[in-house]
Amino acid sequence: MNALVNLLGRSVYAGPALAGFGALFFIGLVITVAGFDPIAALSALLSQSLGSVNGISEVLVRTIPLTLTGLGITVAFRARMFNVGGDGQIIFGAIAFVGCGLLFPTLTGWLLLPLAVIAGILGGAVWGGIAGILRARYNASEIIVTIMLTYVAFQGLAWAIRGPLQESSGIFPRSEAIPEAIKLGLLLDGSRLHWGLFIALGATVAVTLALRYTSFGYRLDAIGESPLAARYGGIGDRATVILSLAVSGGLAGLAGAVEIAGVHGRLHDAFAEGTGITAIAVALLARLNPIFVPLSAAMFAVLSVGVGGLQRQLGIPFPLVHIIEGIVILAFLVATRLQRDAVEG
Amino acid sequence: MAPASVTAPKPASRPVLELNGITKRFGALAANDDITLALGRGEVLGLLGENGAGKSTLMNILAGLILPDAGEILIEGRLARIAAPRDAVSLGIGMVHQHFMIVPTLSVAENIALGNRTLRPLPLDLSGVRAKIRQITDDLGLPLDPDAATARLTVGEQQRVEIVKALSRDARILILDEPTAVLTRDEASGLFDAVKALAQTGVSVILISHKLEDIFAVCDRVAVLRRGRKVHETSTKDTDADGLVLAMVGESITAPAARRNSPPGKLLLELDGVALRRGDGSTAVDGVSFDLHAGEILAVAGIEGNGQRELAEAIAGLQPPEAGRIVYDGKVHTRGTRTMELRRRGLRLVPEDRHAAGMLVDKSLRENQLLSHLHARRYNRAGWLKRRSAARDAQTVIADFDVRATSSNAVMRSLSGGNQQKMVLGRELADGLRLLIAAHPTRGLDVRTIAFIQRQLLDLRDRGIAILLISSDLGEIWQFADRILVFGGGRAHGPIGVTETTPSEIGAWMAGHA
Amino acid sequence: MLDQVFFVGLLASAFRFAAPLMFAALGETVAQRAGVLNVGLEGIMLVGAFLAVLGAWWTGSPWGGLLLAMLGGAAMAGLHAFLSITLRADQIISGIAMIVLGLGISGYGFRLTLGAMSPAPTIPAFAPLKLWGLAKLPIVGPILFGQHLLVYLALIIAVALHVFLYRTRWGLDLRAVGEMPAAADAAGISVQAARYSSVIFGGAMAAMGGAYLSTAQLSGFVENMVSGRGFIAIACVVFGRWSPIGAVAAALFFGAAEAAQVRLQTLNPDIPYQFFVMMPYLLAVIFLIFLARRSRMPAALGVPFMPPR
Repeated sequence: MNALVNLLGRSVYAGPALAGFGALFFIGLVITVAGFDPIAALSALLSQSLGSVNGISEVLVRTIPLTLTGLGITVAFRARMFNVGGDGQIIFGAIAFVGCGLLFPTLTGWLLLPLAVIAGILGGAVWGGIAGILRARYNASEIIVTIMLTYVAFQGLAWAIRGPLQESSGIFPRSEAIPEAIKLGLLLDGSRLHWGLFIALGATVAVTLALRYTSFGYRLDAIGESPLAARYGGIGDRATVILSLAVSGGLAGLAGAVEIAGVHGRLHDAFAEGTGITAIAVALLARLNPIFVPLSAAMFAVLSVGVGGLQRQLGIPFPLVHIIEGIVILAFLVATRLQRDAVEG
Repeated sequence: MAPASVTAPKPASRPVLELNGITKRFGALAANDDITLALGRGEVLGLLGENGAGKSTLMNILAGLILPDAGEILIEGRLARIAAPRDAVSLGIGMVHQHFMIVPTLSVAENIALGNRTLRPLPLDLSGVRAKIRQITDDLGLPLDPDAATARLTVGEQQRVEIVKALSRDARILILDEPTAVLTRDEASGLFDAVKALAQTGVSVILISHKLEDIFAVCDRVAVLRRGRKVHETSTKDTDADGLVLAMVGESITAPAARRNSPPGKLLLELDGVALRRGDGSTAVDGVSFDLHAGEILAVAGIEGNGQRELAEAIAGLQPPEAGRIVYDGKVHTRGTRTMELRRRGLRLVPEDRHAAGMLVDKSLRENQLLSHLHARRYNRAGWLKRRSAARDAQTVIADFDVRATSSNAVMRSLSGGNQQKMVLGRELADGLRLLIAAHPTRGLDVRTIAFIQRQLLDLRDRGIAILLISSDLGEIWQFADRILVFGGGRAHGPIGVTETTPSEIGAWMAGHA
Repeated sequence: MLDQVFFVGLLASAFRFAAPLMFAALGETVAQRAGVLNVGLEGIMLVGAFLAVLGAWWTGSPWGGLLLAMLGGAAMAGLHAFLSITLRADQIISGIAMIVLGLGISGYGFRLTLGAMSPAPTIPAFAPLKLWGLAKLPIVGPILFGQHLLVYLALIIAVALHVFLYRTRWGLDLRAVGEMPAAADAAGISVQAARYSSVIFGGAMAAMGGAYLSTAQLSGFVENMVSGRGFIAIACVVFGRWSPIGAVAAALFFGAAEAAQVRLQTLNPDIPYQFFVMMPYLLAVIFLIFLARRSRMPAALGVPFMPPR
């Protein structure tokens, strides 16, 4: 172990490089053990996701919610708050967005779209903020609370689209379509790629600047590193904790609103399946640096889109995607740990 | 110049312990550099040196907590391999650490039974342990209840647990690491009596301390460490305080400038009947009343754990007091009083635990400059941070305070303790400071930095800043304070002018005698 | 009709629903008492559920499935232990990796094996015991004597762990490791060994909980069937104040809540059923609120230990 650490100590990049190769090795192993050819799998994955205009546009579509939610996870992580309930916040934000849109269908688009988007952000912020309040006041683990709230949100969505928000025909469990005025237009005809891409990129810039140059960003880092020093320095740790989870939820809520506005056009079951969990891997791969989140999100989007091709062409089951996410998280852990040892030793 | 210690007087009988050429490096720092020592049976050896001289490192090697890079250890003339604490225990070495290794949720007997392989695993029967505890405490005259909850014991009693623990494992070499740091004077003399009784029974004792009075009270011989090396060794009968100090420090320290006695200025802080509670709910101190004016240093003396930390937190707005009133610059502290607001108004704090509460160790110096100053408009304009101002100010502190750092981009962790404290102090001195609470500001630092910080505090006082100095170092208090407030026995005594009292009166108050 | 039949059925079901939580919470209690946090129970339970079904099908007996599940759980926990203890990496992130890995491995493995078979194979499962006809006793019969063997096993393990923690030398050492590993280390105890064994035990137990789900409570594996129980189990540990008996009591509480929720649905057909399904999750949140202040968690929980040498 010591010899390995000494070797890695020569370069700060050795740790991540080793972890990266290790990850690829284990992913290949998992594929091979199941009787598939990893090279064929890789080429199928790449051709499905990047081999056509359609594929690339699908990747970008998938990148949008992953970026927004990933940014949210990053903000919370900076304060060492683990927001595992991104999915619930996405759902709540989407419900708030659709609800607002359906409530005021006669308002003009210039007014209604921002209003509904703000409703979506607030919806997610509330859902995340609850966890923040419970953590700040009662020291309730935000990991458990956010996950529990996700299950509650799933049930809430299921009820809403079969109940008060259900479309008038009453046949399918889904909401009425949102007014045209608040739909996000397509960037590329014939694909699903929509204007939400710019919202995601804009949010990336905004979060990057906020974390580095605002006092809010500094407070997050301070709380994350040493809550005691932050307290002594006069930084209200309770307020910061609540805000970190509220902002995190708000970004996820925005992701939910954008998904409905750009892709689905209405609420239905399972429209953002697994984004919240994948976003954790996205944030970690981006090393908790918001400027890298879109790139990291794109990589996972490639994975997500490509795995569909794996299933279709080679019969490799879809849950491989989760195995890969898990391996990526582990690789991140190992890499940072080795790096830290190399620096300290 | 330190006297050479070529031929130290060897112990009378065959040494029970020999350390030959022990060396331990941490990175580039040689914590122990080729140290050779011998200890005789029934002898009490003092290990003297400043903070950071390498005393604890050496003893941790002996206790199996650290592995040496070079050198050998001989017990009763036989080579000993001490690779883990278990080995040390089986060789009869027992250590009482400075920071007690006591599990607070367990009872005294359970703590002492911990790791004892001779106990039957199932079911756990502690009656034998209890009997042994009673026997040892009776022999030594240090009473201890085996079934007491250790969390409720006083610090002195907890130390007894550690001593009994070591002895219950049939320790024949007992190491005491800075034992009197947390004891009242009465408790300390009780401890020394116990040590002498132990030595009579043939147990050898090594006493680590930086206090001369400890060494002279109980040790037969003393070895002095400085910067990792043994620089002097002698019998306590053949030396005196000055000789040891010279050996410890190796140079003369410039005494701080004499105090100017100017009349105190405006009333800044007023406490009236304040009661302070600890985290677990017990009352730390009751009935604290004093006032503090600009341009004076009020020292709060007392043994650790008597409410000093709670006092600092209450005044700084971090924790409201149990009862009473605190008034800063005319405004009463309320539940809504926020620390940042007080800082803006000039009330700042250098915390006692600088690592955990005073800095962000993994952040750069320039980023640390922002830590307690988010209220300052020069750093924070409506939420937008002016990082360049912070970087410039950090650079100024580095220059003015002679901080050894590569640049303001260096990470706090890479600085030595003394330099870290200088950065913390420098940060708090930013404009607008009117009242500074300095909690144990010189604890654990090297002599030069201590002198520097003390000079800074005096300088602040002369410029009209009010200083509340919390310290357990009576010498420091005597030299710098104008008035003294003593926390002890749950009460506050004073404040009283330094010229109107004596160290023994202060010592009595610290021990809790009215 | 809230009559005797209702309550008897409720309590009997409570044990049934509580069993997976009991196993997972008991295991996690031991691990947390040693100072290691494992939030990845959800993933380990899923892997346990899948491996139990696979093993039962392979060997023709649910006990084979149980064994395979325990091995799988121990292996996953071993990985978490390596990351948390030897590498001293962030225990929460490692746990999150376990969740995701468990989700992936169970789904991937299932679709490659049993899920690909058609018709779906029948899985040998555990049957509830009928202890010497005592199950026929009124009231106490079904509640106390008509459960699966695994439920009794969980209760026995709970008592055994209580004895272990408070009445044996190993339990004393373990508690010290979780409160102040430096003191335990100075006393000669191997902090690493204690933590490794606790975490691996916790993993095996969590997998047993998953196995119960797929081979006793239900008969077969469905993807994502654990549905958050892994997290509720962690809430049980907190609610139970890190004691084995407390964890079981908390699990029973949740089991009763889940049993009640199902019954209340049929009793109140006008209230949308989704609100009842939400109940156990909201209950977990409420637990955390009311019991956070009063409990004392092991002081060194989640903090990696590095011996100073």
